[in-house]
Amino acid sequence: MQPDLKTTAHQRYTKIPSAVLLHVAWRNLINKKLRAFLTIMGIIIGIGSIFFLLSFGLGLRDLVTREVIGNQSIQSIEIESGNSKIIKLDQAGVNKVKGLAHVKRSSLTYTFPGSLKIKGSETDTIVYGIDPDYQGLTSLRLLEGRLLNDGDVKQAFMNQGALNSVGITDPKKAIGQEIQLAIPLQNVETSKKQIVDTYKVVGVIDSTSGSEIFIPRFNFEAAGVLNYSQMKVLADSGADVGTLRKQIESLGYQTSSPVDTIDQINQIFRFFNIILAGFGIIGMIVAVLGMFNTLTVALLERTKEIGLMVALGARNRDMRRLFILEAMLLSLIGAAFGVLLAFLGGLLINVLMNSLAHNRGVTEHFMLFATPFWLILAMFGFMMVVGLVVVYFPARRAGKINPIEALRRE
Amino acid sequence: MNKKVMIQVSGLSQEFETDGETIRPLQQANFSILENTFNIIYGPSGSGKSTMLNILSGLQAPTAGTVMFEGQNIYKMSRDALAHFRAHRLGVVYQTSYWVHSLNVLENVAMPLYFLGYSRRKAAKLAMLALQRVGMERYAKKSPIFLSGGEQQRIGLARALATSPLYVIADEPTGNLDTENGDKVMNLLLNCQTEFRCTIILVTHNMEYVPLADHLIHIQDGLTEELQQATALQATEEIIRDLRQRVAALARMKAKDATRP
Repeated sequence: MQPDLKTTAHQRYTKIPSAVLLHVAWRNLINKKLRAFLTIMGIIIGIGSIFFLLSFGLGLRDLVTREVIGNQSIQSIEIESGNSKIIKLDQAGVNKVKGLAHVKRSSLTYTFPGSLKIKGSETDTIVYGIDPDYQGLTSLRLLEGRLLNDGDVKQAFMNQGALNSVGITDPKKAIGQEIQLAIPLQNVETSKKQIVDTYKVVGVIDSTSGSEIFIPRFNFEAAGVLNYSQMKVLADSGADVGTLRKQIESLGYQTSSPVDTIDQINQIFRFFNIILAGFGIIGMIVAVLGMFNTLTVALLERTKEIGLMVALGARNRDMRRLFILEAMLLSLIGAAFGVLLAFLGGLLINVLMNSLAHNRGVTEHFMLFATPFWLILAMFGFMMVVGLVVVYFPARRAGKINPIEALRRE
Repeated sequence: MNKKVMIQVSGLSQEFETDGETIRPLQQANFSILENTFNIIYGPSGSGKSTMLNILSGLQAPTAGTVMFEGQNIYKMSRDALAHFRAHRLGVVYQTSYWVHSLNVLENVAMPLYFLGYSRRKAAKLAMLALQRVGMERYAKKSPIFLSGGEQQRIGLARALATSPLYVIADEPTGNLDTENGDKVMNLLLNCQTEFRCTIILVTHNMEYVPLADHLIHIQDGLTEELQQATALQATEEIIRDLRQRVAALARMKAKDATRP
């Protein structure tokens, strides 16, 4: 029994299920394999070149950031008294800072220039008086041995740079060595004129930026040094860093944070990345023209088919949807392969560059290309938007096809 | 037996403006079509048949007059409702078979079902039944464009029947077929009427099919005239007589020409 005409017009079946439309769109693409392949190749090249260049730009930025910032956490704030004669980083000041909200952890450091003597060679060095908290706040990469423990007094660890300056390349050979440190205590309110003592090397860390020796902070306190050189504070989160810094600065201290440097690096690379993306856009323009051509030709070729579908009961807007889906399919496939191939290309070049650097004596492994998830998403999003813009006119025309005229066409 | 009026056409006129000239393919057409009947709209080419077909199949709004399907003016419906009406109520068979080239026979037959919102699987099931009705199920996975004209036309009929429509509109469905294949298609159309209770509207210029009709609508120069079958058969006889006379006249002309020096 056929239902009444009035009710059927409003029944639940009103539009083509998207899965069906997608299937038809897919069939249309594979029906013209070569054309679809060439169009997708264009998109692959366009998206691929943008992705490749941007991932290079971001990778380079990250590489530079890592080199400059090293292992400092972006949640950390470094506090110094600066050149002020009145405000000192003494125990009272330290307690005030510790009492502020959002201070998660803190450490205190002494920094003095000194000289290092090992096996008869002598060299200038920077001596840090640190506590275990410092080790927690600064991620130090241990090459050999261990860091300082709570009970340590006459133990020390040094960086590879300090070892290099005295002619030792193998960190294993440094472990257990005795070193003599001489640290003049000028311009400091203290009873002693200098610290001269012997320490036992317990560890070597991976850093070649100058010569650095780390000894327990206690050694400076015992010598009567009252004011700390630096306090390091870890904020609860990166978002708290800004307000916390303002509060600390209102106490009269100077603060610095790796965020400052990161901001500067980002600013430079933002410009650099825009230029890189600009080169990629050239490839993209060619891809867009190819895609527009494909969709326009498809529209002309299939005018009759579209007319037929409308005559058989498709809504005009379904035909618009069909074209948009076809463009989205092209975009998606192109973006997926573009990103994938650019990623693989980046990996390959990275491997080549690393082996080249390795041959020239660089031990550290580096990543020249960064492929953050947001960049991949952004590439897909960008291609979708481009696809929508490109398909706008063909889809609009597909939605306006008059079935009578279309079927009359030869 | 009193049959229900399914389609009521009243005062239907169509006008076009071409190169400053007004063309009136239809002028004040009036007729009604009863439930489960075999109707033939016939007339020579240029008589307004195609325009009538386009209007009846919900694709072209008339300049004046109304087309009521089951008491409802289809050109008062929203665009979407009209599209739904086409997919749900009408099965259309064309003179030339049109296909979506990228889809196989089964998917082409399933097309109107897709437009009604059926899933691919459900549509495929119903499309297969429609193909079985016309005896073309073994071609389901083939591409329709490589099949013969007769095969294509039968598949076209399957597509028209896939949604079990109330109305089957056929536009010169045998125009490109030989007599044997043409008769097969006509037989299937008759079958639609008797077995599936469809109302058939056949548009043709070919008088041969007049005996199949329950009801005839003659179009000439944009004017319509309804005929009962008996009258139509009589008209057919007249046409055959006319044709005989014409053949005889031409034969005489030839004979006369041959006697000239």
